[in-house]
Amino acid sequence: MSSLYRASKALKLCRATPTSFSNNNYTSRLSSTCYLDSVLEWTQSAFFATHSSHNAKPTIDLCQYSSDKIRNFSIIAHVDHGKSTLADRLLELTGTIRKGHGQPQYLDKLQVERERGITVKAQTATMFHKHSFLRTETEFLMNLIDTPGHVDFSYEVSRSLAACQGALLVVDAAQGVQAQTVANFYLAFESNLTIIPVINKIDQPTADPDRIKAQLKSMFDLDPSEALLTSAKTGQGLEQVLPAVIERIPPPPGKSNSLLRMLLLDSYYDEYKGVICHVAVVDGALQKGEKISSAATGQSYEVLDVGIMHPELIPTGMLLTGQVGYIVSGMRSTKEARVGDTLYHTRSTVEPLPGFKPAKHMVFSGLYPADGSDFEALNHAIERLTCNDASVSVTKESSSALGLGFRCGFLGLLHMDVFHQRLEQEHGAHVISTVPTVPYIFEYADGSKKHIHNPATLPSNPKQRVTACWEPTVTATIIIPSEYVGSVITLCSERRGEQLEHSFIDSQRAFMKYRLPLREIVVDFYNELKSITSGYASFDYEDADYQDSDLVKLDILLNGQPVDAMATIVHRLKAQRVGRELVEKLKKYIDRQMFEITIQAAIGSKVIARETVSAMRKNVLAKCYGGDVTRKRKLLEKQKEGKKRMKRIGSVDIPQEAFHELLKVS
Amino acid sequence: MLLKSAFSPIFTVIPTTNIHRKLLRFVITNALTQACLQNVRQNVSMYAEANPSSLLVVHKLPPTSAYIHLPFCRKRCHYCDFPIIALGSSSSSSFSSSTRTANDDCEDPRILNYVETLCREMKATKLSSDSNPPLETVFFGGGTPSLVPPNLVALVLDTLSSKFGLCANAEISMEMDPGTFDEAKMKQLSGLGVNRVSLGVQAFQEELLKACGRAHGVKEIHEAVDIVKSCGVENWSVDLISSLPHQTPDMWEESLELAIQIQPTHVSVYDLQVEQGTKFGTLFTPGEFPLPSENQSAEFYKMASRMLRDAGYDHYEISSYCKNGYRCKHNLTYWRNKSFYGFGLGSASFVGGVRFSRPRRLKDYMGYVQNLENGPVNHSEDSFTDYKDLAMDIVMLSLRTARGLDLESFGEAFGGSLLLSICQVYRPYVETGHMICSDSNGRNITSDEFSFLLSDERKMNKVLGFLRLSDPDGFLLSNELISLAFGIISP
Ligand SMILES: Nc1nc2c(ncn2[C@@H]2O[C@H](COP(=O)(O)OP(=O)(O)OP(=O)(O)O)[C@@H](O)[C@H]2O)c(=O)[nH]1
Ligand SMILES: [Mg+2]
Repeated sequence: MSSLYRASKALKLCRATPTSFSNNNYTSRLSSTCYLDSVLEWTQSAFFATHSSHNAKPTIDLCQYSSDKIRNFSIIAHVDHGKSTLADRLLELTGTIRKGHGQPQYLDKLQVERERGITVKAQTATMFHKHSFLRTETEFLMNLIDTPGHVDFSYEVSRSLAACQGALLVVDAAQGVQAQTVANFYLAFESNLTIIPVINKIDQPTADPDRIKAQLKSMFDLDPSEALLTSAKTGQGLEQVLPAVIERIPPPPGKSNSLLRMLLLDSYYDEYKGVICHVAVVDGALQKGEKISSAATGQSYEVLDVGIMHPELIPTGMLLTGQVGYIVSGMRSTKEARVGDTLYHTRSTVEPLPGFKPAKHMVFSGLYPADGSDFEALNHAIERLTCNDASVSVTKESSSALGLGFRCGFLGLLHMDVFHQRLEQEHGAHVISTVPTVPYIFEYADGSKKHIHNPATLPSNPKQRVTACWEPTVTATIIIPSEYVGSVITLCSERRGEQLEHSFIDSQRAFMKYRLPLREIVVDFYNELKSITSGYASFDYEDADYQDSDLVKLDILLNGQPVDAMATIVHRLKAQRVGRELVEKLKKYIDRQMFEITIQAAIGSKVIARETVSAMRKNVLAKCYGGDVTRKRKLLEKQKEGKKRMKRIGSVDIPQEAFHELLKVS
Repeated sequence: MLLKSAFSPIFTVIPTTNIHRKLLRFVITNALTQACLQNVRQNVSMYAEANPSSLLVVHKLPPTSAYIHLPFCRKRCHYCDFPIIALGSSSSSSFSSSTRTANDDCEDPRILNYVETLCREMKATKLSSDSNPPLETVFFGGGTPSLVPPNLVALVLDTLSSKFGLCANAEISMEMDPGTFDEAKMKQLSGLGVNRVSLGVQAFQEELLKACGRAHGVKEIHEAVDIVKSCGVENWSVDLISSLPHQTPDMWEESLELAIQIQPTHVSVYDLQVEQGTKFGTLFTPGEFPLPSENQSAEFYKMASRMLRDAGYDHYEISSYCKNGYRCKHNLTYWRNKSFYGFGLGSASFVGGVRFSRPRRLKDYMGYVQNLENGPVNHSEDSFTDYKDLAMDIVMLSLRTARGLDLESFGEAFGGSLLLSICQVYRPYVETGHMICSDSNGRNITSDEFSFLLSDERKMNKVLGFLRLSDPDGFLLSNELISLAFGIISP
């Protein structure tokens, strides 16, 4: 095998017949019944499904695209600068999707993404584009990866970059460089990617491309002449994008004549096909039917289907060096599909790829079944969803107030919110979430250290003296119009921040770096920041070290009983304020009941805030309904149903909204 | 007896003393209750023969009560959402001056038409069994039944009597509004057998009566009372409404005092329910000015309970008070979950275990009667009973009465485990005094005794008598308390 190009052609020749034969075979057997028969074996329906889309477009022969005709690039940017819209235009330009068909931000497929108008999951799409390169008209295979802009999902960005050699750094022509622009630039820069600056939204009346060019120069040392000016809305300047990608971004460097090494980029679970893995073929080539193994688990699998995301799954029977695509291999759970894993031909020996550093969980919260739906149902839903979002950590826990549940680690609060929403929308689960916490470390007199992911597990009156507490911090980047510098400095010092850097991007924009306790930014920092800067601030952070801090556990007691699910850990100086806020929130959301309810916040045995909900006085139906028992019954049944939506803690019924409201207290 | 022994094996497999309470409740409500309620069904026919007063069959016995809806009013009161037909003040049937007798020849054709349809409905009704016992109670409700000319009331009573039979000493009640009848009319009605009058007084303040849209004033109240008394009706009731807009505690106290002064044998105290679609519903929000606050309206309820009891009335049901021996027999039919006929616009009936409400619109009701005459209306008389529904009805209705829930009968009918879980859920409320438990000798037991009994199911079955809501605290929160049992019966 001197050249993979030739080798695969040979393979194709000798394998073409049996493959198509078996395909036809399935089709003729299944076509009449498949739609009706939901219990079809998954492989069969997989074949059918892929075959039907197969018919829609002419067969794609990947053999034509040797590494030098491949370009892999990501689109990265600050939130809302137009990544997904730009992706739409490029897909249309290459005829991958039809213009005017399908929704805008075509690649944002999840309901949460559509509802919130943000990208949550990176999406890959393969396109084909003819370009006259080195004086010959050549057709290129291009993999575009649209990434999320929000800081919580920067892990998606770093993973996407691992499959790319270049990135389009999109910057809004009016807003200019923002915090995630900086963060994502450095991610790409540190991965040695070629960066193509794209100044987008030039159609806006306030667009000022020259100022942005200057910012790019001063911040990132990017040559102003290299910047492309586009409007993903009007289409202006778009024709330069793909030529720039082809000419400036290098082809994937992998060796086609080496043994197969594939990087597992992502995975998700499909009800019919089972686990679908997204992979980048770094070296070598993969053919359908081959046996592959996982470096992480040692398990081996047969490749049942392989193809590209176009952007729908299109079987190609193979993937060659430098190409990005999907494989179906009979994995039944995505636990087997470890993101960052190296896949290789069974019985070959390869050096595993570097993979990714594991996702860092910034916040933890308990998830419990609500609405009386049971634990098993929630368990199932979480298992399913973590198949599609491997960045959540899940361990079982139990609460005396809420019963059996899970402690989940998230990349941030938005991630947590999105996870809840997906559990509800995609898996029909109803959950109660406890107040999110950051991971603390407590050190005791005997030298032992305890990592706390759940405040309830910290004893309220410890036997051993606590000698030190440590809390996680972040390095935050804040970019603001200069007139807001004063108020932002005030905010950051209220949040116990320490200034690390204060400079100017240009005459109008300030750039600041702060070290802030993670806890202080987790809940409402960004909202607060936006509101004091009239929405002009942008904010990004990356995790930094733990710091010594004076922390206390704040218990919430209902009628004298501590509610484990409501405990929090706070800085001693903030305990009073947070305690009062929590107690007031609860009072607002707990309805009067047959008893008086006292709500207290306490540190150890010292009560620092207290409210009471007086007893309900009257709920009686004293009306002459005659014999109309049915109507009375209905009324009481409604009341009973209302109780079902409550969580009963001791003798107190707590509406589920109360838990949601507690999340909003900083 | 039969049932008890059938259930004990299921019951004893749970070592109640060792299991954590919460767990116990979980096990019982989720597993046993369902199993028991299924077994109830299998045992019911056997059981019925052994004990005809069982809660499982009592509602299937043929009715001995009939509710007759006479929907006419002069105008609609501002709080009312009953199916009524407003005649307007010009109606010839309304009593307005002494020169005109209630037996006015020129009857309103709407009333005549309606009563004829009503009688057709009664005639077309299928008897529920061959051995139909005669009616023991008849209740004319409305609307304002006293607007209906006595000759038409006679027609109704004749029809009832010939179709179903009427006991010689049957309780025949009629709702009557002040200003709608004179002595002659009252005498005629008495002559027809109406022996219980329920007088729609509502309040003793001119301004409140007006604000409610009542068609009478205070003067008419006193005239009506005099008429009732002079005609020798000894069994009569006064209706009062508390928590009216702009009603002050003083006004309420005055109403109660005046009601006590006129010495009715029965008082019904209703609490204003602001219903959607009524004038009040569009104007007011419960608990907000000018309606009294929740606290205030609880005080009104307590005041009624205290003053009426002090005046020698027995508070025998959430909104009913009476002098000894003057309970409303007809209403007891409802609280005991017994069957009853219902005739007329929008009325509810409960026959053969089936609850049915007639159409609330006159045209629909006419059509309904027409269909009934053309053949049996299909509301599946012999539909099988859902035992959860039955148990819920019984709990709901019994707990409205001062007598409470008969624990022994309930346990026999629905099984010891369901009974136990219901007692468990009420245990904290026995402790707080919202509920009271008595033993089989009628002696109240302490909350400690109650808790103790729940841990020993054999003793429990022997000792427990009735569980009831306390007056006034338990009654005041009856919706809360009753719905707790619902949560156990139908989780
Ligand atoms: N005027 C104008 N609006 C644009 C342009 N490109 C995108 N938009 C709008 O900007 C908003 C954000 O666009 P998206 O494509 O969702 O941005 P994104 O960068 O993918 O956002 P995230 O994935 O949430 O980070 C949408 O309302 C787009 O219609 C453009 O060139 N001009
Ligand atoms: Mg996007």
